[in-house]
Amino acid sequence: MAVDTARLEELLKRPLYVYDLPQELLETLSPKNANQQPVDAEQPEPTPIEPEVAAQEAAIATSTQCSLCRVSYQNVQEQRSHVRSDHHRYNLKAQLRGNAPLDEIQFVKAVGELDESISGSESSESEDEEADGSGNTTLAALLKKQAKLSQATEEETEPAVKRGSPKHPLFWLSSSKLPSNTSLGVYRTIFSAVEQAEPDHLVDSLRRKQLAPIKARTNNASAQQDTSALSPHIFMCMIGGGHFAAMLVSLAPEIHRKQGGVDERQARVIAHKTFHRYTTRRKQGGSQSASDASRGAAHSAGSSLRRYNEAALEKDVRDLLADWRQMIDSAELLFIRATGKTNRKTLFGQYDGQVLRQNDPRIRGFPFNTRRATQSELMRCFKELTRVKVSEVDEAALAAAAAAAEAKRQAETSKPSTPRPQPQKPKLSPEEEAAQLHTTQIQAFIRRSKIPALMSYITNNSIPSTFTFQSTDSPQNFRCPSPLHFAANLNAAPVVLALLTRAGSDPIAVNSEGRTPFELAGDRATRDAFRIARHELGESKWDWNAAKVPSPVSKADADSRAERERKAAEEEEKDRRKADMDRIKQEDAERAAQQASSKSGGRTLGTVEKTAAEKRDEETRGMTPEMRMRLERERRARAAEERMRRSK
Amino acid sequence: MAVRAQFENSNEVGVFSLLTNSYAVVAVGASENFYSVFEAELQDVIPICHATIAGTRLVGRLAVGNKNGLLVPTTTTDQELQHLRNTLPDSVKIQRIEERLSALGNVICCNDHVALVHPDLERETEEILADVLGVEVFRQTVADNVLTGSYMALSNQGGIVHPKTSVRDQDELSSLLQVPLVAGSVNRGSSVVGAGMVVNDWLAITGLDTTATELSVIESVFRLGEMAPGGASAGVNKESIVESFY
Repeated sequence: MAVDTARLEELLKRPLYVYDLPQELLETLSPKNANQQPVDAEQPEPTPIEPEVAAQEAAIATSTQCSLCRVSYQNVQEQRSHVRSDHHRYNLKAQLRGNAPLDEIQFVKAVGELDESISGSESSESEDEEADGSGNTTLAALLKKQAKLSQATEEETEPAVKRGSPKHPLFWLSSSKLPSNTSLGVYRTIFSAVEQAEPDHLVDSLRRKQLAPIKARTNNASAQQDTSALSPHIFMCMIGGGHFAAMLVSLAPEIHRKQGGVDERQARVIAHKTFHRYTTRRKQGGSQSASDASRGAAHSAGSSLRRYNEAALEKDVRDLLADWRQMIDSAELLFIRATGKTNRKTLFGQYDGQVLRQNDPRIRGFPFNTRRATQSELMRCFKELTRVKVSEVDEAALAAAAAAAEAKRQAETSKPSTPRPQPQKPKLSPEEEAAQLHTTQIQAFIRRSKIPALMSYITNNSIPSTFTFQSTDSPQNFRCPSPLHFAANLNAAPVVLALLTRAGSDPIAVNSEGRTPFELAGDRATRDAFRIARHELGESKWDWNAAKVPSPVSKADADSRAERERKAAEEEEKDRRKADMDRIKQEDAERAAQQASSKSGGRTLGTVEKTAAEKRDEETRGMTPEMRMRLERERRARAAEERMRRSK
Repeated sequence: MAVRAQFENSNEVGVFSLLTNSYAVVAVGASENFYSVFEAELQDVIPICHATIAGTRLVGRLAVGNKNGLLVPTTTTDQELQHLRNTLPDSVKIQRIEERLSALGNVICCNDHVALVHPDLERETEEILADVLGVEVFRQTVADNVLTGSYMALSNQGGIVHPKTSVRDQDELSSLLQVPLVAGSVNRGSSVVGAGMVVNDWLAITGLDTTATELSVIESVFRLGEMAPGGASAGVNKESIVESFY
C-alpha cells in the first residue's frame, strides 16, 4: 500500500493526461464531495416558434383569455369582469414590480391569509380601512404585504444563491491511494451534456474515455490520416481581432521515442490552420463593420481595406471549415472562442454549406482566459484542457476557515447594523473648554484694543499672568502663544503697556520661534511701550535684558520726545508747503507773462480761425443722430427767438 | 382621411392637440399652419378650441376626452376651464380631476365606449371617467408599458398599439375593447403612437414624418375611407393622395 502511494505520488509529478490516466489511479478515483449539487442539464430548450402572423385583417380578435393571469373565458363579458377584478389588478401590479403573477387559487389563498392576519392584528387602522368596504383596500394590503414578504425572502435566499450558483469549471476527484488533501481536477467541459447531467457517473464516463496511446509513425501521411479520422478527436478554434486559428487534435496521445529510450507523449495535431487579416481599427479598436453599423460607413482608405479584409477573412474561414467538414462533423467536442457579433457571424452566420451551428450540443467555450488566436495558444489551451489539475489543499482547515467566516457573517447580519461610531474630536475637559473660551475672548479684546474690558475680564475670571492661548497647534498661537505676544504683534502699544503694568504679563516668555514679545513689536510706539513698562515696573521686576527690552524710558520722556518729534515733523511739513506754494506762484506768474507775450504777438501761424459751421461740426462729432437732431432743433429755436427779439 | 401636420417643427401632434368626435382642442401657438389643417378638415363639422392647459401647450398629453366629455388635470386654471366651457358644445361635460398622475392624456386612452388606464390610477378617477366620459374602464398595460395613453391610439373604429406589442396581447386587448387593433408606428418609426397622432372616427392627423406605409396602416385600421376598397370617395381623391404620399 505504502509502495503504491509512493508510486502514485511519483506519477502526479508528471503531467497527467485526462484521456490516458494510469490504470491504478483510475481504479481508485471517486468524486470529491458526495453531496455535490446536481448539475442542471443544459439542454437547449426548444424555442417556442412564434405563430406566423397571418395577413392582418381588420377584425376584432376573439381571444377571450388573460395571458397574464393564465385564464381563459367563454365570452367577452367574463373577460371584462376578470380585467376589472382584484386578481387581475394584483397580477398587473405584481408584474410591474417584477413579482411572479399568482393564479386564481394562489390569489384566493393569499387573500385568505391576509384576512387572517388582519383579524389577528385588530388594529384600528385596519378596521378603518375595512370600513371603506371596497376591494381596493384588500388589494392594497395584499400588495403591501407582498412587498414585505418579497424583501424578507430575498434576504433569506441571497446567501444560499451565492454559495450554490457558480458552477465550478473543474470537477474534483479524489483517490483512495492518494493522501486525503490531494485532489485531482478535470474540466467539466470535456464531458458531454448527457454525462454532465449525471454527476455521479462522471468517473465512469472518465474511465470510458481512456484511450490507448498510438506509437508515432514515420511512414506515409495518408495512413496516418486514416487512423486519425477514426480515432476520437476534438476541434478547437479561436477568432477575434482579425486573427483566426483552428486545430483538429486527436485525443489519443502519440508516443515518441526520444533518445535514451524515454517515451514521451505528445498531442497529435491532425490539422491546423491560422489566418490573420487587418480588420481592427488601429487605436480606436473594434471591427470595421461594428463601426459602420454604429456611426455609418466611413470612406477612408483604411476603412475600405478593413472592410475588404473582413470579408476575405470570413471567406477564408468558411472555406477552411468546409474543407474540414468531415472531421468537424465527427469531432467529439468543438471548443470555440468567438466573441462579438462579427466573429460569431463569421462562424455561425446563415450561409450555404454551413458547417458550425450555434445550437450544436458539442460546442464548448474555453473555461479559462485565452490570448490572441494563434497556433501556440490553441496548443496551450489543449494542454490546459486535457491536463489533470493536482491540488493539495488541507480541506479541513479550509472548511474550518469557511465556517468561521460564515459564523462571523451571520453574527453581523443578525446584529442590527449599529451606526459605526463617527470619528469624533477628542472630548475636551472642562478646564480646556474654559481655556478655549478665555482664548477667544481675550484675543477679541486685544484685537479691538478694549483695555478696560480686557483688564476687567482678566480680574473677574482671575486669569493667571502666565496664561497661554488654548489650542497651541493653530498657526496664530504658534507665533503668539500669550496675550502679550499677541498685543505686541498687533502693534497695540496701549494694550502692551496695560498688560505689562496692570496684568503683570511676563515679557520674558518666548513663543515657539524663541522670540520674546518685544521682538514681535512692529513699530516704535509699541517698542516704547515696553521701555516705559521697564521704567515703571523697575529693573527688579523682570530680567529685562532677557526680555530684550532696551534701556528704560519714562512716560514723560517718551511723551516729550514724541511731542518733539511731532513738532519737528510739523515744522518740516510747514516748510515743505511753503516751498510748494512759492513754486506754484512763480510758475503761475511765468505762465501769465508768457500768455501776455503770445497775445501781443498776434495770431500764430498755422492755426486757422474756425468758421461757425466747423465749430458746430466739432461739437456734434461723436453724437448719436438723435442727439444731433435735438441739438440742431434747439439751436434753430434759439435762432428763431433771437430773430423775433430783433424784429421787435 | 388621414393627413399629416406639424406643430412648430414637432411631429408629435398628439401632444399639442386633442381630437374627438364632437370637438377638437388645439394648443395656442405660433403654428397657424397646424391650426389650418384642423380647420380645413373640421370647419363647420365640430368646434375647434384654441386652449392651454395649466399654462402649457401640451393639451393632448394633459387632457383626455371623448364625444361625451373632457377631463382636465387639477393644474388647469379657472380661466382656462371657463374658456373651454365657453368654446365646447354644451353636451360635452367638462371636469377637473384631482389625480396624482396629472398627465391624463398619457395615462388614459379612450374612445366613446371603453378606456384603458394606467394600473395605478386612483379609484375615484376611474369612477369620474366612467361618469363623465361614459366609458367602461380597464386597467391594463400596453406592451408592458403603463402609459396606455402614450402607446395607444384608439377610436371607435379601431386602434393602433405600440409596435412591440405581442400578438397575444393584441388579441386580448382587441377582444377586451371590441375593436380591431394593429401594432404599428407613426412618424417614421416612433413607437409613441398615442402622442404622435390624433384620431376620431373619420379623421386621423399624424406627424409630417409619417411614412406612406404607416399612413396606409393607420387608414386601414381606423377605416378612414379612401383606402378601403369600396370607400365612398375611392378614386375621386386618388391623385391628391398620391401627391400627399411624396
